[in-house]
Amino acid sequence: MDFELSQTQRSILDALDTLLGRHAGVERCRKLASVEGYDHALERELRVADFFDLFDEDSVGPLGATLAVERIGANLGTIAAAAHLLVLPALGIAPREGTLALVQDGADRPVRFAAEATSILVAGPDRCTLSASTASTDAAVPSAYGFSLGRLGPADKELELAPGTAATMLNWWRVGASAEAVGMMQQALDIAVQYAKDRQTFRRAIGSFQALQHRLAELTILVEGARWLTYEAAFHNAPAEASATAAAHTIAALGRLTRETHQIMGAIGLTREHDLHLYTLRLQALRTELGGLRGHRRALVTARWGVPA
Amino acid sequence: MEFAWSPQDTAFRGELVDFLDTELTGAWHRSDGTGLGSAVYTDFSQKFVGKLADKGWLTPHWPTEYGGGGQGAWQHFVLGEEMWKRGEPRGPQYMNVNWVGPAIIKYGTDEQKQALLPPIARGEVFWCQGFSEPEAGTDLASLKTRAVRHGDEFVINGQKIWTSYANAADYCFLLARTGSTADGRNGISVFLLPMETPGVEVRRIDCLVGEHSFNEVFLTDVRLPTGALLGEENTGWNIVRRTLAYERVGAPRYARAALVLDGLAEWATDRDELADPGVQEQFGEARALCEAARVLVYRVIDERAKQKEPSPLAYQARAAMVQAERAVGDLALDVTGSEALVEHSLGDAQFRNSLGAGIAAGSYEVQLNLISRLILGMPKE
Repeated sequence: MDFELSQTQRSILDALDTLLGRHAGVERCRKLASVEGYDHALERELRVADFFDLFDEDSVGPLGATLAVERIGANLGTIAAAAHLLVLPALGIAPREGTLALVQDGADRPVRFAAEATSILVAGPDRCTLSASTASTDAAVPSAYGFSLGRLGPADKELELAPGTAATMLNWWRVGASAEAVGMMQQALDIAVQYAKDRQTFRRAIGSFQALQHRLAELTILVEGARWLTYEAAFHNAPAEASATAAAHTIAALGRLTRETHQIMGAIGLTREHDLHLYTLRLQALRTELGGLRGHRRALVTARWGVPA
Repeated sequence: MEFAWSPQDTAFRGELVDFLDTELTGAWHRSDGTGLGSAVYTDFSQKFVGKLADKGWLTPHWPTEYGGGGQGAWQHFVLGEEMWKRGEPRGPQYMNVNWVGPAIIKYGTDEQKQALLPPIARGEVFWCQGFSEPEAGTDLASLKTRAVRHGDEFVINGQKIWTSYANAADYCFLLARTGSTADGRNGISVFLLPMETPGVEVRRIDCLVGEHSFNEVFLTDVRLPTGALLGEENTGWNIVRRTLAYERVGAPRYARAALVLDGLAEWATDRDELADPGVQEQFGEARALCEAARVLVYRVIDERAKQKEPSPLAYQARAAMVQAERAVGDLALDVTGSEALVEHSLGDAQFRNSLGAGIAAGSYEVQLNLISRLILGMPKE
């Protein structure tokens, strides 16, 4: 057991932070929102710097790759981070360029990045397929939630992957979504905490009111729990139970955090001028993936106690 | 960063589990539902801890010179986790072992160490914790029990309350005021009080929290030699703060809650009720809370294993344990219905124990205050 970053992990994350500082972040996110729904430039930078190969590197491994996904989330990177850094390498699929959409079969609902995906990875109940996308631009769905959203067209050049792949894909997707969410949740929480210290009402900082202090303190407990469950699941190679546990706790924290941060921030938190909404909106997109909170909790129960979900 | 157990820890846990599976049968099984460290079983505990002591597993983390095993923080923790999973068969011993002994090791005189440590290491004595008073619980520094020096004696008068196990204890780790009330936390000292000292009177308090025993302790002209003072006079607050820093996670209550949850899942599976989506969601939520508590406690143990100064992360871990215990207690009633009302059923024990979860070892709200101030740096009210 060791809860501190190793030297290798630290230096990789430092390098990643430098890259993200240049090619991602709040300004980039705001600029991108008005032009395109996927940050191909950021993806290229990360690929060239070998960040998509972390998963299989001995000294880094799946946990290091998961930490990187968290950082990308925290820096509002608009790429399919979990798919590129975790799911593809976990399935042994060679890195591929471009937008990749992860889909859970049977849910006929809009999918993150589906409208611009070049590849689509679908997990069904007992099979997993990788296909080229036939999506056209009219598959795009208007959405304010920070990621491009689309409906899937019929699959093309469908490749069926090995048996058991679907479960691996779902497990890593749960870990990846949790990591991305943890990164964003920490940013949103930091914003609310700073605001509570700065904002004065009745001639005192609102953060001096115990009513707000306790709610923020409870958020730290939830976010830290989510963080360490996610890291632990990644370290153990995303077993079904640990992955679902991490996702269930993370998404529960996400719902609570969204309400509390916005309540504490008041009307300023509702403006586009303030950064909070960048995290809030994207977090809700993550919240809906993989069957959402109910889906994660039921997957946990199935994995632990062996009952059908 | 890594989350694997060392081979030594794994081997230790395996050996321990085998031992407990052999030892904790019959009489102990009766207590499955009765709750944690139930005082009803102190007779059992007394024999059991003797066997633990023989194996070197009662005080594994103490230095060898005081009868300890010289083992690391993780092994000590593994021991606690396995004990709590089984309802804490050490009974009140866990307090002696976890912090009373270590406090004496750190602050005691040679005479105190020689007299008091070996009986703890052999599992022969119980200690209780004389902290709370009728007017000083969460606000412990306002305690009023007074110790006045007369020559080479202290004369103590006052009252303690909510003193777990005082009815069975041989000694009390007692906080009393030696300075003036105005000194607040700077006027408090620790006394090592034999419970058979004249003037000590214990009265049981009937409680609904399982069969856990609470007591009042009345102290009337109790005379103690100055040798019963632990550390310097008026430094008691610091002693307690330091030695109790880890105690917030010393009782891994999530392990018990997780085990109860498994039992409840078995119950629901047998009745085909775990297939219900709503029931599944509640189980999923409770299990995730137990696991979050576990991993947050592990993070604190990691700091201890690295011999860092105690940090405020323990407050997050403690509060997470409270959330987990409550979730499982609520689930027991919601899912098993009136079965949970049956005395000593799994649900009954968990629910009643969970009522006290946010009160012992510093209230839930105090943990939140400390997180807010020390981790988030929020301004004071």
